[in-house]
Order: sequence, then C-alpha cells, then structure tokens
Amino acid sequence: MDPSWPLVIEGWLFALVLVIFVLGLFRRQAGDAVAGWVTLAGLVGLSIAVWNAEPGRVALEGTFVLDELSLFGKRLFMVASVLSVLATQAMTHASFRRRGTEYYVAFLASLLGMLVLASARDLIVLFVAFELMSIPLYFLTGFLKGEKAAPEGAMKFFLVGSISSAVVLYGLSFVYGAAGTTDMSAIPALMATVNPLVLLGLALMLGGLGFKIAAVPFHMWVPDTYEAANTPFVAWISIAPKTAGFLAIFRLYVEGVGEGAVLWVPIVSVLAGVTIVSGNLMAIPQSNIKRLLAYSGVAHIGYLLLGLAAMSVSGVGMVLFYLVAYLFGNMGAFFVVQAVAASEGSDEIEKYQGLARRSPVLALSLLLFLLSLGGIPFMAGFWAKLFIFWAVVEQGMYWLAFLGAVLTVVALYYYLVVARRMYIEASTNPAPIPVPVVLMVAIGGCVAGILLMGVYPEPWARAFMRVAMTLFSTS
Amino acid sequence: MTGWPVLSILAWAPFASALLIMGLGRSRPGFVRWTALLGTSVSMACALWLYANYDLAAAGFQFYEELPLVPSMGISYQLAIDGMSLVMVLLTAIIILAGVFASWTVKTRDQEFYALLLLLVTGVFGVFVSLDLFVFFLFYEIAVLPMYLLIGIWGSSGEVRPQGLFGWAFGRTGVGTKEYAAMKLTLYLLFGSAFILVGMLALYVAAGSTSFSLLALEAVEFDPGLQSWVFLAFYIGFGILAAIFPFHTWSPDGHASAPTAVSMLHAGVLMKLGAYGVVRLGMGLLPEATQQWAWLVGTIACINIVYGALSAMAQKDLKYVIAYSSVSHMGIVMLGAATLTESGLNGAVFQMFAHGIMTGLFFALVGLVYEKAHSRDIFSMGGFATMMPGIAVAFTIGGLSSLGLPATAGFVAEFLTFLGAWSSAHSWWLFPAVIGAFLTSLYVLRVVRAIFWGPKSTDPHFQNLPDAQGTEWVAIVILVGALVLFGVLPGLALTPIDVSTVPLLMRLGVL
Repeated sequence: MDPSWPLVIEGWLFALVLVIFVLGLFRRQAGDAVAGWVTLAGLVGLSIAVWNAEPGRVALEGTFVLDELSLFGKRLFMVASVLSVLATQAMTHASFRRRGTEYYVAFLASLLGMLVLASARDLIVLFVAFELMSIPLYFLTGFLKGEKAAPEGAMKFFLVGSISSAVVLYGLSFVYGAAGTTDMSAIPALMATVNPLVLLGLALMLGGLGFKIAAVPFHMWVPDTYEAANTPFVAWISIAPKTAGFLAIFRLYVEGVGEGAVLWVPIVSVLAGVTIVSGNLMAIPQSNIKRLLAYSGVAHIGYLLLGLAAMSVSGVGMVLFYLVAYLFGNMGAFFVVQAVAASEGSDEIEKYQGLARRSPVLALSLLLFLLSLGGIPFMAGFWAKLFIFWAVVEQGMYWLAFLGAVLTVVALYYYLVVARRMYIEASTNPAPIPVPVVLMVAIGGCVAGILLMGVYPEPWARAFMRVAMTLFSTS
Repeated sequence: MTGWPVLSILAWAPFASALLIMGLGRSRPGFVRWTALLGTSVSMACALWLYANYDLAAAGFQFYEELPLVPSMGISYQLAIDGMSLVMVLLTAIIILAGVFASWTVKTRDQEFYALLLLLVTGVFGVFVSLDLFVFFLFYEIAVLPMYLLIGIWGSSGEVRPQGLFGWAFGRTGVGTKEYAAMKLTLYLLFGSAFILVGMLALYVAAGSTSFSLLALEAVEFDPGLQSWVFLAFYIGFGILAAIFPFHTWSPDGHASAPTAVSMLHAGVLMKLGAYGVVRLGMGLLPEATQQWAWLVGTIACINIVYGALSAMAQKDLKYVIAYSSVSHMGIVMLGAATLTESGLNGAVFQMFAHGIMTGLFFALVGLVYEKAHSRDIFSMGGFATMMPGIAVAFTIGGLSSLGLPATAGFVAEFLTFLGAWSSAHSWWLFPAVIGAFLTSLYVLRVVRAIFWGPKSTDPHFQNLPDAQGTEWVAIVILVGALVLFGVLPGLALTPIDVSTVPLLMRLGVL
C-alpha cells in the first residue's frame, strides 16, 4: 500500500494496536518485553512509510488531508514514539512486567489520535482525534498505580483535560453556529468579516488548546502529571501532545488566513510573554528535576507561542524548528533522569551530585541537553531560539524579543544549577550509574539530534520554512 | 606563508590542542602542559607574523578569509583584522602564553582545566578576528561559557564575607563563595549577550536580512530611532562585560574567585572584549547614535573611574583591590572612546592593551603570593620583598604602570585619554579622570608598601617564603617585558591603532 494515500498509515497503526491487544490476551505473563519489541518494530516500519509518503492527497471529502504540515507532524510523532518506546523497554517497574501490553495498546491508541489530528481539516474530526489522543494519556499517567503520586497526577490531568475538551467543544459550537459547516476552510472567510460569534468561538478554542499545550495560566496540571507518570511516558507527553496542540492551532488560526491572522497577535503575544516569564520563574525553586523540567517546558511553550505571535512564514517555520529541537533536548534530558532515578530511586536534583565523576558520559549528555534547552550555540536549541527571535524582530516586536532573550538567562540559571551539582560538587557515592543499552541508544539518538541540528541547521530550517510556506500560500 | 589561513590557525590552534588534551591527556600532566604550550605558542607565532606583515600603508581589514556557513541567512565565517584587532590579538596571545605558564602548578583535574582554558581562548581570538556579526556572537558565547566551570571548579572562595546589613541581605546567597561568583558572572554576561543578540538581529533585519557581515552593515544608513536603541542595547550588552557602572559587580567577585590564569585572561582580555564590542559595533555601525549617546558613555565612564578607585581603596583582600582597579581602568577605556577624538580613542585602545598586560601581571603575581603565603589579606602580610624580591619588583613595576608613571605603558594610555577628554565636547571629564589617577596611586602604593616594602610581618606563616620559580619566572618576564617595551616604544602599538581609529572617526564625522 502506498503511504502517500491518506489513512494508509493510520490503518497500519490501527492494525498494530490490534496485534498488541491480541498478543496481550495470549501472553499474560511475559507480555511486556515482547509487546515492546513488536511495538518498536511496528513503529520503525511505520516511520519508514511516513518518510516515504508524498504530500498532496485528500480523503473523506477534504476532511482528511495529507499535506506538508501533517507529514511534519506525523514524522515528529513517530520519532518521539520510537524514542519513548526504546526508553520504556528499560523500565523494570512491576506494572510493566504484569501489564506491559495494556501500556502499549493505550500508547499506540493515543498515537493514532495524534496522526489523525495532524491531518484533520474538519472541526469534528479534529475534536474526535483530540479525544482519541487525550483519553489514553489519562490512563497512562496513572499507569504505575502502586505509586503514591500516580492516581493524583492522573486525576488532575483527567479533570483539567476534560474541562479543556469541553471548552474547545463549546467554542467549536459557536463556530459551527456561525459558519453552518464544520469544514475548517470556511473559517478564514468568517475571520475576515470579524464575525463576533466566530471570534468568541475561536477565542474559547484557543483557551482550550492553551490547556492542552500547557500555556500559562492553563499550565497547573503539568508538574503534578510529570511527577506522577513514568519517565519515558513523560518524555513523550512533554512533546507529542504539545505538538498536536500546535498543529491544531496552525490549522485553526493560521492556515489559509493570510493577513487576517494579525488579529490574534495581541492575545498570543500576551500569552507568550506571560508563559515565558512565569514558566521560567516557577522553575527556579524546584528541587525535583522532573518538576523543574515541567516548568521549563512551560517556558518553552512560551517561546513557541512567541514564534506563533509573529504570525508569519518564518514565525511558523521556526516554531516547527523549535518543536524538533525541543523534542531532542527535552526527551534526552528525561531519559537521563530515568537512568539516574532507576539507580538512585529519586528524582531529587541532589542525587546528581558528582555525576560527572560517576558517569561522565551520562553527565555530559545531560549537560548537552540542558545547554540545548538553554539555547547555547552549537546546540539545536540555540538556533531554535535565535530563529524565533529573528521572526519576532522581523515583525518589529522588539520588546517581545528582549523579554524572551532576557528570560533565557533565567532559564540558564536553573539549568546551570543542575550542571553545578553534576560538575562542581563531589559525590558521596563513586559507583557509576548503570544504563541499559536501549536507554543508551535513545539518549545517543537525542544527542545526535541536537548536535546535527546545532552544527548544521541550514537544511532543517529550509525544510521547515517550506512547510510553513504551504500554510500561507493556500489562501 | 601567504595563502595560509593565518587567522583561522591563530584562533583554532588552542582549540585543537584542547581536543588533543581531552583525548590523550588523562593522567599525563606533562603532555597536557606541553600541548597547551604548543597550541598557545602557535597562536603567539601567528600573532607576531600578523603584526609583522600587516600593511600599515594600506590599513583597513586585511588577511581576509571567507567560508559560507548558512548562506540562506547570509551567515558566513568571515575573518579579517584591522589595526585595532591586531593589537587585541597580540594582547590575547601574550596573556594566554603567560597564563599557561602561570597555571603550570594546577593540580586538580588539570586535563579539563587546560582544555576549558584553551577553549575560552579560542572564543576570545575568534571575537577579535571575525567580521561577521553572527560568528562574532558565537565566538563571544564560547568565550563566556567555560568561565562558569573554570571558576566554579578551580576557583577559590574569598575570606571576606559581607557584614551587617549586607550580611543579612546576602547571607543566604553565598556571597564570597566561588560558586556564587561563577553563577553571578555567567548570568551577568549572558544577560548582556541577550541584549547584543536582539540588537544584532534588529540591525540584520533593518538591513534587509541578507548579510551579517560587518562590511555590509557598515554601508547601510540605519534609521536614527533604531540606531538609538540598538546602540543602547550594545552599550549595555557589551558594557556589562566591560564592567560599566552599575553592571560591574560581577567583575570583582568573579575575578577574585577565579583561578590565576582565568583572572588574568578575564580581566586582561575579556573585559577588553566588551570595550572592543562597543567601539567596533556600537561606534562603527551606528554613527549618529554614537554622537547622541557619547555624553552618557563618558559620564558613566567617569563614575567608573572614581567609584572603582574608591572601592579599591576600601578593600582588604588583595585580589579585590586588583579587581576593582580593573573597574576603574575600564572606565578610562570607555572615557577615551566617548571623547570621540583621535587621541582619546587611541588612548582607549592603547589602554585596553596596557591594562590587559598590567592586570594580567597583577593577577599572576597575586596568584603566586597566594600560593606561597596562602593569604590574600593585605594587612596581615608584610615585608615580603626580602623573601621574594623578584615578585616584589615585578609587582612594583605593574603598580607604577597602573598609576601612570612615564616610561610604562600605563602612562601613554592615560596621557592620551586625558588629552582626548580635555579636547572633547565635555572637557570637565578630565577632572574625574585625574582624580581617579590620583586615587589609583594612593591604593596601589599603599598595597605595594604593605605587602612588599613595609615592615616584616611577625606571623610565623609568613617566614621563609620562596620567590618565584621555574616556569613562574617565564610568565613574569613576558608580562613585565611587554609592559616596559610598550611604555618606552608606544609607537609599536599606536601606529596600527591609529590607522584603524582614524577611518572610524571619519565615519563618525568628527575628524
């Protein structure tokens, strides 16, 4: 089957879900590792298919498209999922031994939601895909149900997520009421007429999506969820659903809208500024590294919104660049956290004392990830931030660029605090930290990603700009 | 030797030796040191070759190299030097060569120490030789970041803690510890680089988003409103590195906590990098804004001179005295630049060079004194001249240059700057400058007398201390030699400086 046909990849993924599900019925005792390897093999195969897909085709009367943007999304979801499954294979928790297949079924179901969402050009399809993506996430957050924090984190995530879904749906109903159709291509024309009902609907949807991408003030579920869930999964939800949220935002507010998108600049700018400032400031006092990364992740969402606030080809293109850079940096950091937590039994930053002496490679990897997240030259994150600032300056929004640039210094402070633990302070325990091979591969992949993008950003930036151009040229 | 990418060799030789050290230097201290020496010697040889072959009659940017990096954004690896950067390159080469000798005795984790130090130097060389703003910025970041680890790991915590109200206010921040100093320095400098980055991007976009090249941007006439705020952004961004008041507080803490070679390099070269940035990017690209803001730059420079000198007088810790004297002397550099006169700007650039050598010498000597006497408390030490005559003489020469005694490099620089201040539009700038020079002689002579030439301390810890030995002499001789040489023959540096400052001032329309 040619993957360039829409729904082919989704069909294969659905088949994979069924395979894992059936596998779980038959291998209740040792289902974990086998299910993981089957999932991994399936995802690698699907990744190859996604990479070979050509954009341009449409299915289901225009509600499902396979264009440049959706391919970007699908590829990113695939990379994130492969990395996350690799790291999950290193999990030794009892829940994984007993119920591993359940985990992978839910994981792949959520991924299916993301893949559909990337292609959705219809409000109903978009919403259903969002739910398909989100509901397994609530379950997965509470997967380690023996742990004390898990039910709390899962419950918070579930409540906030459901409310935000309701808000999105409410907004959607306004848009439908005004447009008389659920086809998204009707939105630009309505936006141009400044129809108050549509604007109210879109504003409500932006709020709902704000919950999904965890922009301030809709972010409070993030740290608790991250702390509760197992780390490979956290690494994955720190990027994949957020990317899905941004894809939805691009579809709703940017695609085909052209000049009219300027309408959203003030609200998005404010959201971006508030998110950057509060995310960074709240990260400072954290003593748990997963919470620190959670708040720093909120700040990164702010930078992504900054790129969106530019509402230009380069702005959107650079958001895509940022997403990929963030994927490698953030997932990599979480994988190192996973390795340290497996050995030390805790996510406290104190446990990183003297890591550079104990496990130099692990410490260096984490340092590289943190520097990339902090935006230091020769790492992917540097170009990501630079490109975002460039896009913002291009629109004459100097103050936003200043704000963003100055707050990166705050971010570097808390990243350097971790670096200080690792490099400057001496450790009480000299034993090296064991790292399973699968996890090492995942970490190595992330290091390669940030360095490749950091040393030679040109082809990546070009490719993402091309994707962004399609959003603006369809009008 | 023409056709060789000399500037690239100059900048990347230390980096190559850093890689060698990281790869092969584990528990081989001799290899580490000789490789570091080799790398810095190659840079020194390149610097001397450049100096000898720079065509003074042709002036302008020479030894041009170019390699496109990100063509779609107009970023290219573009190197060239003019007279001003030539002198700065020479300064960097001298300081790092002396710095390698001065840190010969580093014992803990020497492999990483030398590797980071050499990485830092690559950044500094790169800043001075790059013509592309973007590459300039990249090198600038390379020069700033290793500092965190260098100070945090190999630094020393001061003996003086804040007292009274300050003790209460800063008690929990760890003031005076090396970790605090390292973090403060890094954050301040990165804060500055945020300003530089935004300013740079603004110019790039305003010029049509085609090139980051200094030469291309020089040809653009920017809108005065844009110039005005971009100049301020550059002034704050680079000014933080040049320790302008009130953004100077990282510098005493950082320099006092840093290990010897890092203090030498940082106070000697990196602070100049800030002043160089203001002159090259601020004044070079934004002529109208320079005219508009000269009063601010000069006035703040006057505050720096007097305030730095007064603060230096109040210190009991030897390293803090030297560190505050740097704040004061950087004021002279900025003042010279703000005068917008030929002699003033020449004096400023010459002061960068002279002060670099002088501070490098001071920090090297303070490091030696500390290593032998294990104290930085000025008033507990005394009469060291009988035990370490070599160090005492070198320190005294440095001190005399610092207060501007004729026949030392410091004199030429201060004289030119004062001349420039008097003939500038704000002739009252001369008075704070002269008061600063007077205060300098007070604190310098006081320190020199207390530690070296005064009555001998009776403390049993301070008896029978050795003088400088072996490689330590090399560092001292290099620096003292340079200080005297350029004091007696200032033309050696002034001629190349002059050929680059005159076109700059002509662009500003003041010459």
